[in-house]
Amino acid sequence: MTTAMTTATTAAKTTSMLRLDGVSRRFGGLTALHELSLDLPAGARHALIGPNGAGKSTLLNLIAGTLTPTTGTIIVDGRDVTRLPARLRARHGIGRSFQHPAVFQRLPVAANLALAAMPGRGDIPGPISGPQHADGVAQVLDAVGLTDYNRTPAGQLSYGLQRRLELAMALAQRPRLLLLDEPSAGLDPAQIGQLTTLLTNLGADTTILLVDHHLDLIWSLAQTVTVLHHGHHLATGTPDQVRADPAVRDAYLNPGGHPNATATATATANATANANGTERLAPRTSPGPVLLRVRQLRAGYHGAPVLDKVDLDVHDGEAVAVLGRNGAGKTTLLNTVAGLQPVQTPTRLEWDGRALPTRRPHLPARAGIALVPQGRRIFTGLTVREHLVCALAAHRGADTPSQARTQAWTVDRVLDLLPALAARLPHPAQRLSGGEQQMLALARALLTQPRLLILDEPSEGLAPAVIAQLTQALSGLVADGLAVLVAEQNLTVATALADRIIVLDRGHIAMTAPARDLDQDGPRQHLQALLGVSGPTATAAADRVPADDAAQLTGAAESGLR
Amino acid sequence: MTTTRPQTTPAAAPVHRYPRWRSRQLLLGAAVMLAALALPFVADAYTVSIASTAIVLAVLAMSTQLLTGIAGLPSLGQAAYLGVGAYTAALLATVGGVSNGLVQLAVAAAAGAVAAAVTAPLLLRTRGVLFLMASFAVAELTRTIAAQWSSVTGGDDGLHTPPVTVWPGTPPLRSDGYAYLYLLGCFLILVVVVAVLLRSRLVLALRAAADHEARLAALGYHVNRHLFAGFVCAGALAGAGGALLVAAHGYLSPADLGLDMSAMALLAAAIGLGTMRGAVAGAVLVVAVRDLLGTPTGGHAPALLGLAFLVVAYQPAITDRLATWKRSRQR
Amino acid sequence: MTAYAVTALDGLAFGLALFVVAAGLTLIFGVMDVLNLAHGSLYLAGAYLAYLAYLFSHGSLVGLVVALVVGVVVGVGGGAALAAAVRPLTGYGHLHQALATLGIAYLAADGYTVFGGAPVPVNPPNILAGSLDLGRHGYPVYRLLFIAVAAAVALALHLAVARSRYGVLLRATVADPGMAAATGVNTRRVQTAAMAAGSVLAVTGGVLAAPLIGPAPGADTTVLVLSLIVVVIGGASSIGGAGSITGTLAAALLVGLVQTVGVLAAPTLAPFALFAVLLTVLVSRSRTAVQPA
Repeated sequence: MTTAMTTATTAAKTTSMLRLDGVSRRFGGLTALHELSLDLPAGARHALIGPNGAGKSTLLNLIAGTLTPTTGTIIVDGRDVTRLPARLRARHGIGRSFQHPAVFQRLPVAANLALAAMPGRGDIPGPISGPQHADGVAQVLDAVGLTDYNRTPAGQLSYGLQRRLELAMALAQRPRLLLLDEPSAGLDPAQIGQLTTLLTNLGADTTILLVDHHLDLIWSLAQTVTVLHHGHHLATGTPDQVRADPAVRDAYLNPGGHPNATATATATANATANANGTERLAPRTSPGPVLLRVRQLRAGYHGAPVLDKVDLDVHDGEAVAVLGRNGAGKTTLLNTVAGLQPVQTPTRLEWDGRALPTRRPHLPARAGIALVPQGRRIFTGLTVREHLVCALAAHRGADTPSQARTQAWTVDRVLDLLPALAARLPHPAQRLSGGEQQMLALARALLTQPRLLILDEPSEGLAPAVIAQLTQALSGLVADGLAVLVAEQNLTVATALADRIIVLDRGHIAMTAPARDLDQDGPRQHLQALLGVSGPTATAAADRVPADDAAQLTGAAESGLR
Repeated sequence: MTTTRPQTTPAAAPVHRYPRWRSRQLLLGAAVMLAALALPFVADAYTVSIASTAIVLAVLAMSTQLLTGIAGLPSLGQAAYLGVGAYTAALLATVGGVSNGLVQLAVAAAAGAVAAAVTAPLLLRTRGVLFLMASFAVAELTRTIAAQWSSVTGGDDGLHTPPVTVWPGTPPLRSDGYAYLYLLGCFLILVVVVAVLLRSRLVLALRAAADHEARLAALGYHVNRHLFAGFVCAGALAGAGGALLVAAHGYLSPADLGLDMSAMALLAAAIGLGTMRGAVAGAVLVVAVRDLLGTPTGGHAPALLGLAFLVVAYQPAITDRLATWKRSRQR
Repeated sequence: MTAYAVTALDGLAFGLALFVVAAGLTLIFGVMDVLNLAHGSLYLAGAYLAYLAYLFSHGSLVGLVVALVVGVVVGVGGGAALAAAVRPLTGYGHLHQALATLGIAYLAADGYTVFGGAPVPVNPPNILAGSLDLGRHGYPVYRLLFIAVAAAVALALHLAVARSRYGVLLRATVADPGMAAATGVNTRRVQTAAMAAGSVLAVTGGVLAAPLIGPAPGADTTVLVLSLIVVVIGGASSIGGAGSITGTLAAALLVGLVQTVGVLAAPTLAPFALFAVLLTVLVSRSRTAVQPA
């Protein structure tokens, strides 16, 4: 795996600014980042990409010192910083931005920058230093265009300006290594343009390591790119090399791709075929009446992207996939329908022809809407069995007319569908693997006897074999006539499940199409443009997949199907 | 449930308003100062003694505000350091024979700082509501020590102290009026010290730590060292308040460092919405409610204090709800 | 039996009394995320109930039973009222909730002034007032019974939280209230019930422990601060988890022993000993790392 990544970085013969040597990080039983080695020369513009849960933020936090690695060493500018606390790494020249803009909300903009630019900051608290320092702050303020706001508390700035302030704070440290965690999240195109200009114009004395989902920004800024996929290194190279890498295309870049191009797709397709073969032989009956009707949806929270004027219908028995870039508002949409997040006027939510009860957060669930949330949200401290008991108990005595209509879910039936859980019943759920946790989240949702199943990124962070299993189980549910609303980055999974796709873009619905239309070029290109994944179409180049990668993926997929 | 919470400023971290010394405020300050100076010449002895209590509580409220409103560490235990300072000053006066008030003030402040430095390793391992719990526990344990260590502290009987002198050779301040003016002078000194402190880099870093510790660390700051320094400053301020307490009453008992004292200081700080001036005004208000209004209600001061706590606790929630209601009516 | 063994029994009784009260505090803190500074007042209500029962029933067992029944009613009512009182403050931070419950505690303290400014003695019911011969020393029957009852309460609580269906709903709500609601759990009802249960523990604990920690002005603060110390030592971070009941129990017994055996051994050092225990626990259990935002 190390072969692919050294190609780009050894080319540059300059001094090394950042060297990672076998760095990994485990959280309990979960390995967020497998052993990774990387070498960035001074002045590099390097990007980390990969689907959610790939370990990108973990890696950034390991370099910044917010986390310490489980194994490996981190060398910055010739010094081993592996065991240094974050503040000493900062003094060693590492500046960073956080995933959510980390500014001092109550302090005025000028004070935020003053703290960042303070000379000899840190150890001995003294008086605020003199005019020279104030001049420096004024210069930075001017450079980032925040002079007009210097007295405004940072918390009152718009989201975009907070991002800019945070970047200015990181720059005011005069870092030699700048770590940026999703700097474009929540910014509009104009702001992303400004960000690109600002970063492009940074001097070569600053090395940049950047995590972002906005691929246009990556392609225009990065000289080299590393792709991570559920904690594994997938590829490192120039943007062109990475874009051409089939493994990368399959894992991340190529929505909808050729079903047989790689192992993952094969596994998923097989799973779908199995499901179709056993239960969807006959074409599905056309969807029933409207089950969920969303009108004029408006929702959001503190500064982050807001949904506005979203209309959506989900029919009884229909499967709808919600697509969109990170930050497009997918999770907000799903959480709002599931009652986890309040809606704002003039939103109207109708359920089965009547207003959806949202007065208490548990009422949508009682009405028959079940959520498999992003990140799974397993209850810490509960065993697998207790999760199932909890879901059943919550609905005991609940007035669920759906029970009369559909066959009620029992623990036995759920374990038939998800046999992996049966052996794990007495185990604490937080010790399960990611795949098992996802199965548990699904089981928990099903036991609430839903008529609409909402899934938020069900394949996130899972191995291909597990994704195949999960897709198979879900396809069966869809075939049985359960209505499904799913947000999914893995387009193979999304198209395998859904009858219809909708694409969210910056809080609005930008596209709606039947899933089968994605086979055609027009809708597909439109979709790729919306998802920000353009580039040369894949001419399948299986020989360029690192051999061990392909073998591993195929093996995993096969074991998952057994 | 967390998702449905209204997004408002956390109570432990009220919005800080930056001082803009406008002439109107200067005038107001001068008027307050004049009124405070004139008080012993126009008011009766009882009112003057209440004003002395208000000054002591104002110092303690500033100490509490430094932690609660600025560093984001809600403290329900600053009376512990007041107590350490007070017993130090009292022992200095009785056993040590040092009657000079200013020496007592300085030594008491140092003792408060030392006590804070000793307890900081314990308390600074907690944040938020756990800090509140732990600080309360530390204060109650300190009070228990004061009550049980009777060979030194006189136990529950307390200690009587002689009046303080201002300068070597000058007569002690026996009358309540002079003692009050002495307290007022000391208070002004402390206000100047606090004003300087507020403009320091330390306080800036403390405010930043309350907002985002990880960000501050990522900028290269040693967060805990700053919190430690802030905590010690707060302890010194509370210790100085203890010296003033002894000078004001000439008597000290474990009850003076009980929950009431810490709770009233916290209430004053909450009234002050994160500002020092607000905390001082809050302290005056709290003492006025308890002692001026409490007397005519026939000893129901605790009930009045309880109501004051409830008013301060519910005020932001009620204000927000009224605003929402008004907006929905306008629509 | 030596004097120390007798004192250790006292410590056990004292620790179990603290456990019953602190378990209620832990429950409320874990489920509602509210620091209930009026918890000592609930204890005091129970202790004064025991006093009234003794006074009016002339020391009969029926009086104690009636006091317990009334205590449950007072606890449920008080808990529901507290839940209603703090709910509008959700989202305004812990400080405002603490100020509100502190205000309620002050109002309650003002109410208790009808019992006068001095401690009132509460004796066990006459039938249980004797003492049992244990080797060379006698030991009060009531205290032995108290130890048995409180231990049973601890066991019942542990089983209810760790094993029962309701305990599962409770722990799910503690772990992730939003997700619990999305699973259909009526989290609001769970929270109110937990608040009521926590208050019942405090009030009935007061009724039963009144002969040990008698009702007096200021007893509310004493009980509150000792319960807080128990909660802090017992691991406030793991509240609601299966281990929290045992953690609270261990912490309560530790504090109880320090407060009784410690006082006997070195009277002035006992508060310092509690300091030391607090320090040791807090230092060894490193503060939850600040999450990168």
